[in-house]
Amino acid sequence: MPAPDHAALHALYSEHNGWLKNWLRARLGNASDAADLAQDTFIRVLSARNVESIREPRSYLGAIAHALMVDKFRRKALEQAYLAELASRPERMADSPETRLLILETLVAVDTLLDGLGERTRQIFLAVQLEGLSYVATAERLGVSVTTVKKHLIRAMTHCLLLTDD
Amino acid sequence: MAQPPDYRTLEAAATWFVQLNAGKPSDAQLQAWQDWLGKSQAHAQAWARVEKLQRQLGSLPADVALPTLAGVRARRRAVLKTLAMLLAVGASGWAVRESNPAQALMAELRTGKGQRHKVMLSDGSQLELNTDSAVDIHFDGQQRQLRLYRGEIMVQTASDPAARPFLVQTAEGSVRALGTRFSVHSEDGVSRVSVLQHAVEIRPVDQPRLMLRLDAGQAVRFDHRHIAPASAAAPGAGAWTQGMLTVIEWRLADFISELRRYRPGMVRCAEGIADLRLSGAFRIDDTDTILENLAASLPVKVKYLTRYWVSIEPA
Repeated sequence: MPAPDHAALHALYSEHNGWLKNWLRARLGNASDAADLAQDTFIRVLSARNVESIREPRSYLGAIAHALMVDKFRRKALEQAYLAELASRPERMADSPETRLLILETLVAVDTLLDGLGERTRQIFLAVQLEGLSYVATAERLGVSVTTVKKHLIRAMTHCLLLTDD
Repeated sequence: MAQPPDYRTLEAAATWFVQLNAGKPSDAQLQAWQDWLGKSQAHAQAWARVEKLQRQLGSLPADVALPTLAGVRARRRAVLKTLAMLLAVGASGWAVRESNPAQALMAELRTGKGQRHKVMLSDGSQLELNTDSAVDIHFDGQQRQLRLYRGEIMVQTASDPAARPFLVQTAEGSVRALGTRFSVHSEDGVSRVSVLQHAVEIRPVDQPRLMLRLDAGQAVRFDHRHIAPASAAAPGAGAWTQGMLTVIEWRLADFISELRRYRPGMVRCAEGIADLRLSGAFRIDDTDTILENLAASLPVKVKYLTRYWVSIEPA
């Protein structure tokens, strides 16, 4: 039912867009970033297809915009860390810009996946999945049992699978 | 539309994955896993997510992704420093890919599996790190010292106007360069040195008075107390700097364990074929191709369970 959704979205937009842009500008200190993020916030609302059931539009919009801001900073931090790593590995600078962008996108996705995990679980998951360490080597490095390593891996894997689309 | 897999199903898929990767799964285990997969649409769907996640993770170059993910927060300061460098270098581009004045930039040099890294030191000496290696550079007024924590390096020393000695320190002892080109490999309590030009002096850390002079064309192994008798350096000892691995009549098991140095994850060699022999020159930058070609030259087959779990078995 796109039609009623669109009408509601239009109302929401005309009533709160100005407020949202100000809200974001106050936090980002930058009008054009604020306008971009406000736009993204409304796109999020549109794709959630629940405009008509929103009770507190400003707190709802604020929550989405906040999440987008966090994403943006996460992305920026990752991008900087990634660039720094690249800089210390000259042989990697041969990767094409497309490859680098793809890697960065995947890094953001993986970092988001790992967000809800405890530090230990995250460490174990990264050691096994990215570094390719065996369970035994991972257990030795972190001073835990292999059973513990497996338990953390299953937890991490389940968590990631829950957040993976089909 | 089918129901998406629930938590229990996803947990079961995760458990299967973790179990199958724990070591070489038995035929019974693989059969049980197949049975589980076939039991319901939801199981198959959950496993498809496992594979999707593995593809996603597999597309990341581990050497860059790991430190990036592990240190996003902790590395702020280092990031700023390196970014400044990035900007400074930006103007001239990355034409100077092979030699990179390292000393100002970072105290520690590291390579991930499958990576090599070449740097010019402040005295003009060349240092090259092979796969999975870590080195600290300690140059001061008295000496030029490299600390090799792990892995393998090739050093070509330059003469020093201040005549400071050039030393490579490993956990097992020290290697003093006498104007020379040589490689040092330290792993599992054993250091191996090959000299390509001139000579070096070796001293085990707990027996510093036990000194051995090693000349060009010779190689030796030593631990913290002992030095083995010197032998002729293997042909192709420094070939890794060209990205090559040269072997003559090697046991397959030894070849696979050498390959493991360059490849993340597990590569297993079944016992029945461990003693097969092979010779050749291989591009170590492309271990996938090496594995693929094994089956063409030896009676073996290569099985992939995941990107990180490869098993070489009798054909």
